[in-house]
Amino acid sequence: MTSWHIPDDLRGSYLEGTLEPALAMSVDAHLDRCAECRAAVPYDKDWLEASWARLETKLVTPRPGLSERFLWHVGVPDHLARLLSATPTMSRAWLAAVVAVLAFAVLAAREQAEFLPAFLIAAPVLPLAGIALAYGPRVDPVHELVAATPMSGPRLLLARATAVLTVSVVLAGIASPLLPAPPGMSAAWLLPALAAGAGCLALSNRLPVPIAALAVGGVWLAIVGAGRLFGDWPAVFGPAPQIGYAAAALLLIYRFHRLSTR
Amino acid sequence: MIRIKQLTKTYGAKRALDGLDLTLGAGVTGLLGPNGAGKTTLLRCLATTLAPDGGAVDAFGLDPADREQRTTLRRRLGYLPQNPGAYPHFTAFDLVDYVAILKELTDREHRHAEVRRVLAEVGLTDQAATKVRRLSGGMRQRLALAQALLGEPDLLILDEPTVGLDPEQRMVFRALVSRLGESRTVVLSTHQTEDVAALCERVVVMRDGRAVFDGTPGELAAVADGRVWLSDTPPATSELFWRTADGRYRTLGAPPPSADPTAPGVEDGYLMLLGEAA
Repeated sequence: MTSWHIPDDLRGSYLEGTLEPALAMSVDAHLDRCAECRAAVPYDKDWLEASWARLETKLVTPRPGLSERFLWHVGVPDHLARLLSATPTMSRAWLAAVVAVLAFAVLAAREQAEFLPAFLIAAPVLPLAGIALAYGPRVDPVHELVAATPMSGPRLLLARATAVLTVSVVLAGIASPLLPAPPGMSAAWLLPALAAGAGCLALSNRLPVPIAALAVGGVWLAIVGAGRLFGDWPAVFGPAPQIGYAAAALLLIYRFHRLSTR
Repeated sequence: MIRIKQLTKTYGAKRALDGLDLTLGAGVTGLLGPNGAGKTTLLRCLATTLAPDGGAVDAFGLDPADREQRTTLRRRLGYLPQNPGAYPHFTAFDLVDYVAILKELTDREHRHAEVRRVLAEVGLTDQAATKVRRLSGGMRQRLALAQALLGEPDLLILDEPTVGLDPEQRMVFRALVSRLGESRTVVLSTHQTEDVAALCERVVVMRDGRAVFDGTPGELAAVADGRVWLSDTPPATSELFWRTADGRYRTLGAPPPSADPTAPGVEDGYLMLLGEAA
């Protein structure tokens, strides 16, 4: 307890911020102990509360992960970046896409020409694995919570599937030039991949996502199998089928987008 | 106002909801019933996470069977599932923030303020930065309740909300829910008849997918009027009885002429209503 109180001129200099650091610290220490002097220091309650709230949030919010910060840098809104990168299901989906494409790249780098058919057949269905891991009660421990929110269902699945497709397509695109094949051929998987992804999304309105992914994967393998049966499997990557894949992809994406934005 | 008409849901051969009719208004309504009575199925249908096989739900004039109206309804509800799950590596703040994003709170400042508000409501401000895996069971339950409070929903659906809470936490929970029930519709399922007696203006007892009682807790207790009695020795019949702290036997059933009758509680009425099924 002290009978000394901060004189008016000293308090004025303190509030103006013109005191020497040592003297300012001394005034700080006195204010800590003296309620009377504290009461004489004016403050903006709203500003103080807002500042405290910001500080509190800074303290309790962990630093965003690498993928979340990357998404910020490429212009993805902060809430969407969080939604795409924070959940374990998304991490697994992304990891699945990265591992699969890197495996292809490593094998391709060994210049095994016979590897090309396997790559072309598998690349379109790779994103399906990612999409299957992106949403649903079997892969998301908080799915029941998520399912009761307005973002759940097609909107959330579309956001996550788009992220998975983008990552998978970019990575597979990086891997394809490493293949010992003409440039047109090594990129021939792209439109089938988009059509397969879009088909999976469209089917998810009626089936659980993993089942939809399996069904679409099965359809793709049936198409390739039919091509092989008729002795000309590369024909399924020819110009006419590519137009069909593009049309199917556009139609299915449009249909799913309409549903998801309702 | 929520109107439930002829609601049915079947899992294989089991009829979880069997033509249930119910109307829920503002205030706190408690659902009581043995395991498998259909409480969780009903709450999941109300929370729009489960589609019924038949019948209809009308919640604030919205039909959850319609995709657009379902989304609108989801903006107005808060839901605490029986098994809410968690991301163990998230902090408490992170988890609620994540659900807030899913509830379309996209503005960062506003969202964070709302997250802090609901964490304070359930007394978890000091645990905001704690990883979920380090929280006790009771704290996790309060965290799950916090996310249900985001956006001040008109309809609050709470499935077994007091599981894992210690007595003090249950008191805090009761104070919170009774306050919420003053201005909105709260539906909670529980096995705790004390919670119903303390909290709910209305209680619905379910069995085999149907409502077998709908009234006030007092009316439920009255079901056992004249059927609860005390004695110094165990009853001769095979009725339901237990020895109380003062050494006497409290029996539920038809009293003998020499019985010392006592006032029934909600639990007595519930047990009497359901018999051995409870």
